[in-house]
Amino acid sequence: MSNKTNSYDIPADRAYDREHHMWAQYESASGQVTVGIDTLGLASLGDLAYITLQAVGMPVKRGESMGTLEAAKMTGDLIAPVSGVIVARNDNVVKNPSIANQNPYSDGWMVVIKPSDWVNESTQLVSDEGLPAWVESEIKRYRGQGWVD
Amino acid sequence: MNWRLITDDGVTAPFGLAADETLAQRVGMNLSEPTLRLYTYRSHCALVGRFQNVENEVRVEYCRENGITINRRPTGGGAIIMGEDQLGVALTIPGRGEDNYNHARELMGNFSEGLVRGLNQLGVEARFRRKNDIEVNSKKLVGLGVYRAASGGLLFHASMLVDLDIALMLRVLNTPFEKLSDKGIDTVAGRITTVRRETESHITLDEVRRVVADGFVSAFDVKLIPSDFTVEEHAQIAKSEQEKYLSEDWVYQTTAVPDSNGSAKVKTPAGLIDVSVTTAGAIIKAVFIGGDFFASENAVADLEASLRWHTSQPEKVAGTVEKIFQNRSVEFNGIQAEALIEAVTKAVSRARVAERQMRADPYGCYVNPGGAYA
Repeated sequence: MSNKTNSYDIPADRAYDREHHMWAQYESASGQVTVGIDTLGLASLGDLAYITLQAVGMPVKRGESMGTLEAAKMTGDLIAPVSGVIVARNDNVVKNPSIANQNPYSDGWMVVIKPSDWVNESTQLVSDEGLPAWVESEIKRYRGQGWVD
Repeated sequence: MNWRLITDDGVTAPFGLAADETLAQRVGMNLSEPTLRLYTYRSHCALVGRFQNVENEVRVEYCRENGITINRRPTGGGAIIMGEDQLGVALTIPGRGEDNYNHARELMGNFSEGLVRGLNQLGVEARFRRKNDIEVNSKKLVGLGVYRAASGGLLFHASMLVDLDIALMLRVLNTPFEKLSDKGIDTVAGRITTVRRETESHITLDEVRRVVADGFVSAFDVKLIPSDFTVEEHAQIAKSEQEKYLSEDWVYQTTAVPDSNGSAKVKTPAGLIDVSVTTAGAIIKAVFIGGDFFASENAVADLEASLRWHTSQPEKVAGTVEKIFQNRSVEFNGIQAEALIEAVTKAVSRARVAERQMRADPYGCYVNPGGAYA
C-alpha cells in the first residue's frame, strides 16, 4: 500500500521524519533501519548532483547530520531520522546520486543504521494511519512555500 | 522586525566562509540574530563550490605563484573569484520554528528581490533567474547559493560583481573559454556583466553596499541595526576556521562523482554549432555554445544558463531547449532547436563515455569520499 498523491509516492511500509523527509524502514529480523530520502524531499531539492555519507562504524544522532548533499536547488546536510551506528553505506548512490532521484525507496537507499533507541525514537516518526493526513499537509505546505510545483 | 547589519572588508577566505557558516548554524539554534552581512574579501581569492574538485576548477599553480588563496564554500554552484570589487552578501535566518519566513525557493526569490531592488535604485534592470542567478539582459551579474545548516538555519549567499578583471578570472579559473586572448575576454563579457558596466560609472563598492542594504529593507520590511559579531560568535568562527576552512582536507577534498567533459559539432545551413559540456554524473554543470552561426548573444547565454545544473536526460534537455525557443526562436537566426538539442545531447553522451573510461582507470581521479567532512 502506498499514499500516492499528485505523483508523490509515500509507501506505507516505512516511517518518515516529519521535518526532513527522510524515510526509515525497520527490519525486525536484523534490528536494523534502512534510511533514504522520500519523494517530497527529493522534489524540494531537485536533481541530486553530489552526496557524501558518514563512513560505516560512525555514530549518528537523530536530528543531526549524517552526510551532505548538493542538489539543483541547494546544498545542505542529510539529517539522520534515528540515532545509532552506521552499519552499511550505499556507495552506489554516492557515485551516482541520480539513483536516489530515480528509485528513492529501493536502489536509492543511503545508509543502514543499527538504532540505539528505536522504540522511543520511532514514535517521533510518522507512519501507518498517520501518513495520509501528513502527506496531504506536507504537499500543501511545500506548494505554499514554493518548494514544489 | 530587526536584523543585524554587519559590514566588514578585506576579510580572509577562511574567516569570511567560517563566519557565514557559523551564523547560519547559530541562527538555527536561536543563538544568533538574523543577520545581513555585506562584505568583501581581501583581493583575491578563488572559492570553489561545496562539492567541486579544486584541481578541475582552479589553476592551482598560478594561484600559488600569485598569492591567490583557494577555499571551498559551504554553498554549491561554480567557482568564483572574490576581492575588493565583488560584494559578498550573506543573509542568515532561521529555517524552521515559529518564524514567519517561507522556505527555500520562495525565500531565494525574496532574497533576490532585496538585491534586485538595490540594483534598480541604480537604474540597473536586473531580474532573478530561477535557481541561482541575477541577470541583466541574460548576462549574469550576481551568483546565488543557499545552504541549509543541520540546525535548520539558512544561509543565502550572493556574490555581486561591482567590477571584474576578466583577464585575471580567466587566468585563475579553468573555464571553457580561450585564455589570455581578446576572444576569450569577449566571450566572457557576453555572458557576465558588472554594476560599473551597467551603470557606465565608477560607482564605489560602498555606494553599491548602501543601495543593497536599502533593497533588503524595502523587500523584507525590516530595520537594519548596524552591529558586529559577538564575542561568542568570534570564538566559534575562529574554531571553524581552525578546524575546517584552514584545513587542506576541507579545501582539497574530492568527490565520488568525477567531472567529465564532452563536445560535439553539428553542421546546419545556418552555420556550425560547437557545444562543450561539463557533467557531474547525470547533471550538466556547465555548457558553452559556440560556433560560427549568427545569433543573439543574450539568447545563447539564456539557453546556456537554462541548461546549467540541469539533468542530462535527453528528453528533459529537449524540453528545456524547446521552451527557450518558444519565446526566442527568431533570435537564433535560422538555427533550429533540433540541431541544438542534437549537439547538446551528443556532447553529453561523449562526456558520459569519458566518465566511464575514467572510472575504469584505477589510476584516474576517482576518489571515494568520506572522513571528516562527509
